Amino acid sequence: MKNRHPIALVLAVIGYTIMVVPIFFVIAISFNAGDTLTFPPDAVSLRWFAAALAHERFTSALVTSLIVAVIATFLGLVLGVPAALALARSNLRAKGAIQNIFFSPLIIPELVLGAALYQQLAIPLRLQNYLPVLILGHTILMLPYAVRVTGASLANMDGQAEEAARMLGASPVRAFFDVTLPMLRPGIFSAALLSFITSFNNVPLSLLLTKGSTTLPIEMLDYVSQGIDPMIAAMSTLVLAGTVVIAFIAEKTVGFAQIFGGINK
Amino acid sequence: MRSRAGLLLVPGLIILVVGLIVPAISMLFFPRRSGPGEVLAAFGSFFSDPFMMSILWRTVWIGLVVTGLCVVIGFPIAYMLARSGSRWVGMWLALAIFPLLLSNVVRTFGWLVVLGSQGVLGRVLMALHLVEKPPQLLASEFAIVLGLIQLFLPLAIISSYSAIAQVDATLDEAARSLGASPTRTFWSVVVPLSLPGVIVAATLVFAGSVTAYTTPFLLGGSSDKMLSTQLFYYTDTNVDWTMAGAVALMMTILVFAVASLSSATGRLGRTQ
Repeated sequence: MKNRHPIALVLAVIGYTIMVVPIFFVIAISFNAGDTLTFPPDAVSLRWFAAALAHERFTSALVTSLIVAVIATFLGLVLGVPAALALARSNLRAKGAIQNIFFSPLIIPELVLGAALYQQLAIPLRLQNYLPVLILGHTILMLPYAVRVTGASLANMDGQAEEAARMLGASPVRAFFDVTLPMLRPGIFSAALLSFITSFNNVPLSLLLTKGSTTLPIEMLDYVSQGIDPMIAAMSTLVLAGTVVIAFIAEKTVGFAQIFGGINK
Repeated sequence: MRSRAGLLLVPGLIILVVGLIVPAISMLFFPRRSGPGEVLAAFGSFFSDPFMMSILWRTVWIGLVVTGLCVVIGFPIAYMLARSGSRWVGMWLALAIFPLLLSNVVRTFGWLVVLGSQGVLGRVLMALHLVEKPPQLLASEFAIVLGLIQLFLPLAIISSYSAIAQVDATLDEAARSLGASPTRTFWSVVVPLSLPGVIVAATLVFAGSVTAYTTPFLLGGSSDKMLSTQLFYYTDTNVDWTMAGAVALMMTILVFAVASLSSATGRLGRTQ
């Protein structure tokens, strides 16, 4: 294979450097024993990891982020999977338009959605804690993933097994739970992982909706804007470690490149 | 079953109407403490306001530069990966996909370490005697562009990879066996056939770049305002719902415009 033109190789080095090297420095700095972001570290220590885990604002934000991600993922699937089923199996006339409505959260800027929820729901309702609005926003953001990934799985299977179950006397609900749902399981699992990670990392939508309970990315952003020390690097490294675990779970189940890259091997 | 299947759409549609469509339309046309039409009037005067125009142009300009560089860097990488028989392809692909899972805050934070006043790059440049004192690399459009390329290059690589992988590799071989050079094969066979995928990639990168918040917030200076940071300013720092609505409308139109352009180009490509 003679595809390795020197220019392409140079571009590949530049590309991978930009994508990966800054992450490497974050990890390296987090093991610094000193108080500054110097590299290489003067001495190696785990003190900043201990400091990050003892920082109450980080731990409570982490808990909020996990709660929001789990609930929004669950609600996104509960609302999105039936919608994907209806879009795939029915012959509604307005199908294209309805599909566009379900995909619209992907095209409306998240910051705009966040500002709209803030101005039109959070403020008029005089909420002391914006958590319900935050979860509503995240659920909306998850809907397109649930509909698209499940829809793709449905498109890959024909409706014959379902029809056979119906002809043998199963009710539509029973046919769904006993026949369709088991076949959809990998698709739903992929959508769940994708939704969870998207919600957990979200900044623009959450930005204005953190009164009462802040998510981890927003708390970290807030901390960085006050000044930076290796503790934020240690927290970043912990988030990275959690992300590696998720990537590993993805690889051991449906396939990492398939879930997150949409690449079918 | 078939006639009632539509009911399955109802709960999701209700959530979208209550949590997205009504709030978004209300904010743009009937914002708090501001009458109907005021946002549209503010949106109109946007174009005669040099300050707002400079923000719009900076946003569009950065979006175009980032999109161009992501395609120029990402496509050749995707091509090498898609056409290589090496057993390391999976690893390189995973290394490109993994950053997509990682928090934007964590990824962007890396640049503070690399570009900061005590940063790695500045000290390397000083050690090489290329600069006298630590260079000011952060708080600049340069830093924003670099940060956005880091965020969106994975998207460019993956979308291009999928597009190239769908182009039958035997077409490359046919061109080669008919005497075309590898360069000619690349430009006359691979690029045209995978163009629809590249257009999708470019659209995703542009839409992401012009709406990103974390990168301009952390890496841009106070004079490097983009539409996203300005929208935050009008909703949180200095509350002005009319201006917030106008900026939000501008951002939304920008994304819709590029998405429509992209799907129109896609349709044109299919009919030819």
